[in-house]
Amino acid sequence: MAETPPPPPPARRRSWVTLSSLGTRLVVFFVALLVIVQGLGAFLVMQANSQIARQTIDGELEQGERVFRKQLSQNQARLEQGVAILSSDFAFRQAIASNDTGTILSVLRNHGARLGASVMTLASLANVVRADTLDEGRAGKPFAFPELLKLAEADGKASSVVIRDGKLYQLVVVPVLAPEPIAWVGPAFEVDDRVAKELNELTGLEVTFASRLGDSAWKLHASTLAAPLRASLLATLEGDSGIPARVHDVDVGGDEYETRLTRLESRPDTNIVAILQKPLAVGLAPFRRISSSFFWLTLAGLSFLVGGSLVIARSITRPVHRLAEAANRVQQGDYTKHVAVEHKDEIGQLAVSFNHMLDGIVSREREILRLAYEDGLTALPNRSMFNEQLGQAVRTARRSAHPLSVLVFDMDRFKTINDTLGHPVGDQALREVGVRVRAALRDSDVIARLGGDEFAVLLTTSGTEHAAKVVAGKILKALEEPLVIDGQSMDITASIGIAQFPEHGDDPNALMRAADVAMYEAKRTKSGFSVYDPAHDERRQEFLTLLGELRRAVEAGELVLHYQPKMNLAEGRVTAVEALVRWRHPQRGFIDPGQFIPFAEQTGYISAITRWVLGKAIEQCGVWERTGLRIRMSVNISARDLQLGDAMVQYVAAALQAAELPAGMLCLEITESALMEDPGSAQSTLRKLRDLGITTSIDDYGTGYSSLAYIKQLAVNELKIDRAFVSGMEADKRNAAIVRSTIELGHNLGLTVVAEGVETDHELAELRRFGCDSAQGFYFARPMPAAAFERWLGGIRDKPVGERSATLGEA
Amino acid sequence: MSRRAAVAFSLLVLAVCHAGAATLQVQVKDAAGKPLADTVVYAISGAPFDARKPRAPVAVEQVDREFVPYVTVIQAGTTVTFPNRDPILHHVYSFSPAKPFEIKLYTGKSPVEVVFDKPGVVTLGCNIHDWMIGYIAVVPTPWFAKTDAAGTAIVRDLPAGAYDIHAWHPHQRGAIDPARVTFDAASSTHTAAFTIDAPPRKPKYKPPLDRLKY
Repeated sequence: MAETPPPPPPARRRSWVTLSSLGTRLVVFFVALLVIVQGLGAFLVMQANSQIARQTIDGELEQGERVFRKQLSQNQARLEQGVAILSSDFAFRQAIASNDTGTILSVLRNHGARLGASVMTLASLANVVRADTLDEGRAGKPFAFPELLKLAEADGKASSVVIRDGKLYQLVVVPVLAPEPIAWVGPAFEVDDRVAKELNELTGLEVTFASRLGDSAWKLHASTLAAPLRASLLATLEGDSGIPARVHDVDVGGDEYETRLTRLESRPDTNIVAILQKPLAVGLAPFRRISSSFFWLTLAGLSFLVGGSLVIARSITRPVHRLAEAANRVQQGDYTKHVAVEHKDEIGQLAVSFNHMLDGIVSREREILRLAYEDGLTALPNRSMFNEQLGQAVRTARRSAHPLSVLVFDMDRFKTINDTLGHPVGDQALREVGVRVRAALRDSDVIARLGGDEFAVLLTTSGTEHAAKVVAGKILKALEEPLVIDGQSMDITASIGIAQFPEHGDDPNALMRAADVAMYEAKRTKSGFSVYDPAHDERRQEFLTLLGELRRAVEAGELVLHYQPKMNLAEGRVTAVEALVRWRHPQRGFIDPGQFIPFAEQTGYISAITRWVLGKAIEQCGVWERTGLRIRMSVNISARDLQLGDAMVQYVAAALQAAELPAGMLCLEITESALMEDPGSAQSTLRKLRDLGITTSIDDYGTGYSSLAYIKQLAVNELKIDRAFVSGMEADKRNAAIVRSTIELGHNLGLTVVAEGVETDHELAELRRFGCDSAQGFYFARPMPAAAFERWLGGIRDKPVGERSATLGEA
Repeated sequence: MSRRAAVAFSLLVLAVCHAGAATLQVQVKDAAGKPLADTVVYAISGAPFDARKPRAPVAVEQVDREFVPYVTVIQAGTTVTFPNRDPILHHVYSFSPAKPFEIKLYTGKSPVEVVFDKPGVVTLGCNIHDWMIGYIAVVPTPWFAKTDAAGTAIVRDLPAGAYDIHAWHPHQRGAIDPARVTFDAASSTHTAAFTIDAPPRKPKYKPPLDRLKY
């Protein structure tokens, strides 16, 4: 019976969100990749961005500074021009040349106002202040900025940024020409928030003017910054050690300012600087916009890609998942559903391949089933298939309580056909049988070849005993016509055993056994078909157990040898004795050889028995010989033993040697039929035996299929006429004729002749008349154990020949 | 020019009339060793002289928008006229303490004659032409001369006696020490040499003439 496959493990419900799933891995991988790539890109861009921002701001500041300086110098140039023009005013010159201090001051003030100067200073050519509009006390003191005068002397004009009384001024120095320089006039223009504002408007930078005298604190003179920021800037300046000119970030009032310090004037003790600033936020604003745009873009891109990769991951994992499910179904045995092929991509190809594989599996499975359940030779269902169908039918029949019939049959003497005509022919014969029987049955009937030459038929519908018998008859009829194979025609017959459900068995095994028993009965009785009878079963059971017990019997010494004398008619004494095996069963008692010998022959166990018999007989002969009783021992050899050929010859020789018995003391008897089973090899074996010196005898002569030509060639010494002829001499004259002519024949061929089954005086007298050499039978003695035989032998020595008859029965 | 010559001649005559007419020859070189023109040389002595002697007026003309001569040396008390030889008007002025004056826009004959009675240097300028400049060196002695292109100045008819020879150049850098020369009674020629560090004249921008025709 085929086993059901073990239940598959419960399929794991794969949620594709788990970390181990392909989908998640795909998404995670892509997202990670994107994050890295985009992040890297964003980082680099922002980095570059901020660098550019820096550079841009620096550039702007630098430019601002340039513009500032340019503007400053332009301012100064303008002032210089203005002063120069004003100072060449005739009246001004006249006034200056007048040496009248009052006039000078007034004209200075006047012209100073024209210029918009905060202070006008007049200095002599000796660099001494002659007049100062702001501080009259300065008159007579040296001019505060002599280096400017030197510069003006060289260039005709000079200007600079100076600190005067803590305030920041642009000072211009110009000569008063009359027409030679007669004095220096120096207007000073205060640098205030207005100036800073102007510069701021032009440069776009926050402008602060600051100065430091020596190491004192920074002073802020003018600025575009609001008041609180100024304080903050001052505080920052305080913190600086030295004056860095490079750009740096300064925190002013909480905001970052990009700052650049530009030196306006630097003397050993005075530092005047302009601080140009741009709020970082303003400068960075466009870059911050870029950065933030980029950031949002990245974020958007990221979310899109996450979404996209989710979708793609799903589009990959879903079909994969479906394929996995399909594979699961296949594992559970469902091959029928194909996987849907949605796309022409790789997954689609996989699905197509999968479907092909499915088809392949289906067809292979079918093939396997076919092979499993089909008999190769005949194409009929095999034993497994039959058993399954029988089992199913029984289950159905149990439920519906309707009868079933099981018929089992094999071909009689199939072995003969196989051996004589060869296996190919035998196979063909089986096939033909299958075909014929199949044809004879209905479609609903199941026919199977169980193996060898054994067939079985199951009638599922109308499985009554009567119907079964009818079917059996049909089968036998179908086989009536001889088989013609390779030009050979052969008759075959079958023996059919019938078993019924539920009468003869209610499970398949019981039914098969019953049918089997019935078949053997049919075979035994040669009745064609037979219905199971429990009585047969017993006998068969007995028969089967007997076989097992037989083995044991040989080993346990339950077998004994009885000896039947062969009476030499001419000499009137016993010259030979035939050893016959008897079985003394511990429970069953005495079992007739006819019960077990044929079976032993069929099963091949006969060889073991023969060996035992041979050994025992030779031993006994040896014993007798040593005690002075020289009687040739005859042992029966079966066809099986003969088949062994050389092996048999060898072990016979060995047995003789072991017992130290001369070969001439042994005679081997083989039935005529046994010889004819394989005439060729029998001939050579007999020759070998004869070469050893052993006497051979053809037993049951006249009942086999031998030919005279064969007998002529055979290396035998003796013929034993079958008892049927001997005991039938009185009844039928033809038997007597056969006996007579057989004796004649034997003699003419140089053989001695023995008559078996002599029972009456008449028979003895006839045999004597015919010239038979020896006789054997109940007339003389029944087969008896060795001791009994010895006693018997002693007894007849004292009697005349004619009266020597069986006195002792079987022991 | 003829008047000048006449003046020179009369001076010479006077010098001859006087007893002991010495001649002073002064060579002036500049710092580079080249002859230096326009150097005013004058001799101051303790000897009295007739300051009341009439002196002929001197003219400083404006020609081609320049003062000609560039340097003029006169004895204090001399009258100077300023004829304008240009087709355009000039406004001559001076703010020098020795003689501040101005002659407002005029052309042709000098509308005024300016008497320079204080010794000193008078720097002339034109109000409407910033580059015009001239010098009048007013000396307190009749014995003066100006070096020519060769850097030579000759002062004649110097009576005997000891003199301080002063030199002055408009561009001089630093003061010049006078030289001391003593003239004896015999007519003799004395030489004096000065090396004056005076850079050449740095003319101011003078627009070309045709520009004026706008």
